[in-house]
Amino acid sequence: MNRIYLDWNATAPLLPKVKEAMIAALDDAPGNASSIHREGQRARSVIERTRRAIARAINAPPQAVVLCGGATEGNNQILRTHAAFAEQKLGRKPHIVCSSVEHPSVIEVVEALGSQEQDVQVSLLGVDRLGRIDLDKIKEQLEAGATLISVMWANNECGNIYPVTEIAALCHEYGALFHTDATQALGRIPVDFEACGADYMTLSLHKMGGPKGIGAIVVREGIVLEAMLAGGHQERGRRPGTENVPAAAGAGAAALQVVDQLDAWRQALSERRERLLGALTEGLDGSFELRQDPENHLLNTINVAFHGVGGEDLLLALDLAGVSASSGSACTAGSLEPSHVILAMGYEPEDAKRSIRLSFGPLTPISSIDEAASRVIDAVTRQRSLAL
Amino acid sequence: MASTIEQGEACMMPPMEVDIDDLDELVRGRVVVAMSGGVDSSVTAAFVAQKGWDAVGISMRLYATPPSSYTKSCCSPDDLFDARMVADTLGIPFYVANYQDEFKARVIDYFVEEYKRGRTPNPCVACNNHLKFDILLKRSLALGAKYLATGHFARIDRSGEVPVMRTGLDENKDQSYFLFGIPREALSRIVFPLGELTKEEVRDYALGMNLETAEKPESQEICFVEGRSYRDFLEERIKQGESTPGKFMHVDGQVLGEHDGIHQFTIGQRKGLGLSWHEPLYVQAIRPEEGTVVVGPKRGLFARGLVAERCNWLSFERPPGILECEARIRYRSKPVKAVVTVGEDASMAMVEFEEPQRAVAPGQAVVFYRGDEVLGGGWIEEARV
Repeated sequence: MNRIYLDWNATAPLLPKVKEAMIAALDDAPGNASSIHREGQRARSVIERTRRAIARAINAPPQAVVLCGGATEGNNQILRTHAAFAEQKLGRKPHIVCSSVEHPSVIEVVEALGSQEQDVQVSLLGVDRLGRIDLDKIKEQLEAGATLISVMWANNECGNIYPVTEIAALCHEYGALFHTDATQALGRIPVDFEACGADYMTLSLHKMGGPKGIGAIVVREGIVLEAMLAGGHQERGRRPGTENVPAAAGAGAAALQVVDQLDAWRQALSERRERLLGALTEGLDGSFELRQDPENHLLNTINVAFHGVGGEDLLLALDLAGVSASSGSACTAGSLEPSHVILAMGYEPEDAKRSIRLSFGPLTPISSIDEAASRVIDAVTRQRSLAL
Repeated sequence: MASTIEQGEACMMPPMEVDIDDLDELVRGRVVVAMSGGVDSSVTAAFVAQKGWDAVGISMRLYATPPSSYTKSCCSPDDLFDARMVADTLGIPFYVANYQDEFKARVIDYFVEEYKRGRTPNPCVACNNHLKFDILLKRSLALGAKYLATGHFARIDRSGEVPVMRTGLDENKDQSYFLFGIPREALSRIVFPLGELTKEEVRDYALGMNLETAEKPESQEICFVEGRSYRDFLEERIKQGESTPGKFMHVDGQVLGEHDGIHQFTIGQRKGLGLSWHEPLYVQAIRPEEGTVVVGPKRGLFARGLVAERCNWLSFERPPGILECEARIRYRSKPVKAVVTVGEDASMAMVEFEEPQRAVAPGQAVVFYRGDEVLGGGWIEEARV
């Protein structure tokens, strides 16, 4: 039985060009990018080319791009250094605000800062039943003295796209900084750093076909990004540690693919979404509910609750039927908890547990989308017939 | 449950002698293996996988473990990682199913409530009845499985018209006491691959197959108390105002002192009473209404019989007339000769022992045997002196 991978928002299959670039780097650029000899020079050029490629993919100056170990690290660095240095730099005590649907690498850091640091004030922005954020609530926080607002560009679980350009403008009206985690947006919708006005952006590339373990912090000119670690001059002292050259080579190749392919990918995603939702609607007579903003969402993400079927049961059945999907987040032990995003949208825990997430990519074959729809319909029908 | 289990093909399963060998020829379907990360369930999974059946490992996550006690219980991430590694070694899919809410409601809350009522609960039976052989079994069937395999030391004999449960061949490990509550219709859906083995043989198999869990120590404690004593666990959960304090009363009517909660006592208990008397005193009865703990000398501990409720019968719908059998009133005690009479509905049973038995504790299970056949069982409601 062929397996069908519908969990791109967790991680995507490596793009062929990314794999090639990584293998080439393993062979050709084994040096330390900080060394002055030829091996070092080769490695250095891989790093710098990657910086330029990422900069191009998101329309940012190359100097703005700080390579790091991924979006979780980047989010930690931005939030924690803001908490530590806001007073010194802005003359105001830090007051960090994030949405209640942020990735755990934002929300849990904000909560930890709020409970551990005496001088740090934090607030969470609620969302409505469709997961939308009310700009007036952001305004309230800014009026109350927020110094940094963090709202993701696109949500990993419900797929909502947030109005980051408007939020950035609002923040600047009040002299606050704005951070956006654009990990899920990259490669799916246009991400323009310059135009959106964000002060900080974080990225990972493995949701669209790049390697894991590498990402970037993008910083607006004029803003100093403090390091979290000490002990190296790499990335101009902003991210010490010997660079992971093969991962950087892969990230660079992924970024170039975004530049070349974004329009074609968006077209492909749209077609796949239509087919998948069309088949499910027909096969199940519409007996499910989509949990996302119907107006603004990623085309590749479908958060769906099937009436009368538990998410965990369905995921297991789907995996055994060769379809990889997900729901919520797994704890250390690997059991599923209801998604904090769906809970934030106001669903009761039992109801939230019915959500499953199907996320695909532009390279998911159309035939797999059709086959997946039929397997989902079968699994849902079977679960319902057993009425647990 | 009955309707769920009777759906599907396995009801037409032909008779067979021994679980694993003969099933081999017949099972072409999927088998879910309940995997705890211990050696028994690891070997169970290995047997099922090696038979070429379509094995699927599932670990039940029953409660959250604090990081400080990761190594102490079966639901710690470490144990689940062990199960995961064994599944990977065997090349079978593996999942962790989250049953924390159900476990809390059906096992932990029950455990605490029973002690609060002055009874002696048996959480392992409750877990088997409500979690493993109800929820997990149903979910397994929903996943397209035909059988649920667990690492219990007991056997299911499929040689007759209907399957019957027998004790595990290893007398020291026999776990049939904990299994009396399995719905009768479910027996045809259950496989106990270890029933004919000794613990030692199981370990040898695990070592021979190089399973990661081969040398893991046995868990002895009630799993969810996590290395504490169950008394400490209870003290944490029974808040002030929820306990039932009262008097210690001698069987002759004399009040000997006071205690601050009946949940601290079990029938037959001698230690920790804090009473001084000219002969050893044992808890003989607990009267939850007024909080009285009745104590007396050892000879008063013996009961001629008991009343059991919520009985489940494995060998028949209801016992045919008066049942002469052997009754076991606690795990690891020897079954003793008894006569059992059931009421109009077969869920209530009067049990008379041939010889009076010591410390019959309400809340514990009584399980009925005929030789190695497990006939059924029930929950002890009261002792009959």
